[in-house]
Amino acid sequence: MGAPGGGRWDFLEFTLATGGLRPPNLRVHLVIFYTLVVLLGILSMGFQLLASRLLNPFFGSSLIVWAWLISTFLAAFSVGSILGGWISNAPTSQRIRAQWIAGAVAVGSLAFTAFFGRAVLGQIEIAFTEITTGLLVACLGLFFLPVTTLSSFGPQCVQFLAGRGTPPGKASGLVYGVSTLGNIAGVMLTAFVLIPHLPVSTLLYLWLGVALVNLSCLIILLRPDQPALSP
Amino acid sequence: MKLLRLVALGLSISAVLPAADFVENHDTLYNNLTIERRGTVVELRARSRGGEYLESAVDLADPLRLVVQYTRTLFAAALHEPAPKNVLMIGLGGAGFHRVFVHAYPQARIQSVELDPKVFELSQSKMAFKPNARTPVAVMDGRLFVKRNREQWDWLILDAFRGGFVPPHLKTEEFYRECAARMTERGVFVTNLHQGTELFAADLKTMRAVFPQVVLYEVAGRGNVIACAVKYAEPAMSRTPDVAGLKRVYPALAEKVDLAGLAAERIAFPEAVVKNARVLTDDFSPVEFLDALKSNNTNAR
Repeated sequence: MGAPGGGRWDFLEFTLATGGLRPPNLRVHLVIFYTLVVLLGILSMGFQLLASRLLNPFFGSSLIVWAWLISTFLAAFSVGSILGGWISNAPTSQRIRAQWIAGAVAVGSLAFTAFFGRAVLGQIEIAFTEITTGLLVACLGLFFLPVTTLSSFGPQCVQFLAGRGTPPGKASGLVYGVSTLGNIAGVMLTAFVLIPHLPVSTLLYLWLGVALVNLSCLIILLRPDQPALSP
Repeated sequence: MKLLRLVALGLSISAVLPAADFVENHDTLYNNLTIERRGTVVELRARSRGGEYLESAVDLADPLRLVVQYTRTLFAAALHEPAPKNVLMIGLGGAGFHRVFVHAYPQARIQSVELDPKVFELSQSKMAFKPNARTPVAVMDGRLFVKRNREQWDWLILDAFRGGFVPPHLKTEEFYRECAARMTERGVFVTNLHQGTELFAADLKTMRAVFPQVVLYEVAGRGNVIACAVKYAEPAMSRTPDVAGLKRVYPALAEKVDLAGLAAERIAFPEAVVKNARVLTDDFSPVEFLDALKSNNTNAR
């Protein structure tokens, strides 16, 4: 099996070809699937830039702020991946329940940050005069939970592909490769298009809306009764 | 071939580095700083976006000479609050302004806030700044300092640049309100702006949203504009300040700063430019983008 070629469908063809699938229905499924994975990546890393803008008025824009912010997001990616791995291998009923809980927590915590983030930061700033402690509390309180729960869907996406015939290594590579492309898109789009034109509060509401739609679709797509992407 | 490449690299570096008595470079937490010495003048420059910006300069043979042009214009604050006792300056640089200030106002104190500890270190080790009880320095973010410190300032000077870049959270309506809350009733807010960008208009619009009066002084031929703003609507900030009285009461200031010339640098508020600008807030402050066509601190190179 060679690497994807030049045509715009070749990437999908490549994946589809791994199991000799039935187009076009499954193609549509795959397009939706990878779109949702890209959106997951966009949501995670774009949120990091929005988080920095939220923190700046309260903690400045120093290296200390960025160190805590990046560490928080990496910790959330780590915990989210482990959590997602656990959910992936849970029995079906538990898995479905865990997916809905993770989705609800992601949306709920994003909503909390969008609606109450600034007020909470104001209180944290008063309560903790030591900047490092304040940042730790702020990052954990406002950003850790949404990113952890968003990240938990990565391994589940891998399991989704692997459970439908794609070899696990290839499934993992595809999901994390596509998700990382989403990360890049999230950073560039947020930095060069969204932040220059829209208020951060509006962008947080946008993130909330996109997360709601994205996770709902993903949870539906990840249902065990969905058609196999490869036999 | 390798040797040729090395030579070419060396030549390109030497083309970038200025001719000076000594040059040393420091990668700090926040800046890439260059210290140059030209005769008795030590310059502190910051590299950013492919350019090198003069942050500060001090003549070691005559520390009371204001080498960087715009630092003289910062004294426009004296035209509106002639008797400052307590001054806050966000952004230390080489502390050239500070030396003239403590000379001109022997009873006053100037507190500085500097984010980059290396800048503070270099100001002492290379630019002969000796902080004392009248010139204390806090190494922290300027906005955090304003929020946490409860003192009232007669002059509050904002001159915080990271290379040619101003942190967005020091440009917003909320920050200006925090500054206003820390100013005395007759206090003056002073900031160093750059003309010719959309950020300039947004800056002025934002200041106007907080301060009832904003007046401008243009640094001749440099692109810098010093904005002075106050919390009171009346009386109007005079176009013809009592320069003679100021000279009489503060001869040391008059000796170092051409106050009449300074008063003459006042320019009209560019209403037309500001009209369509947006107020910068904590929620919306795309400073980097509005500043995309910006110049630098002094344009001096």
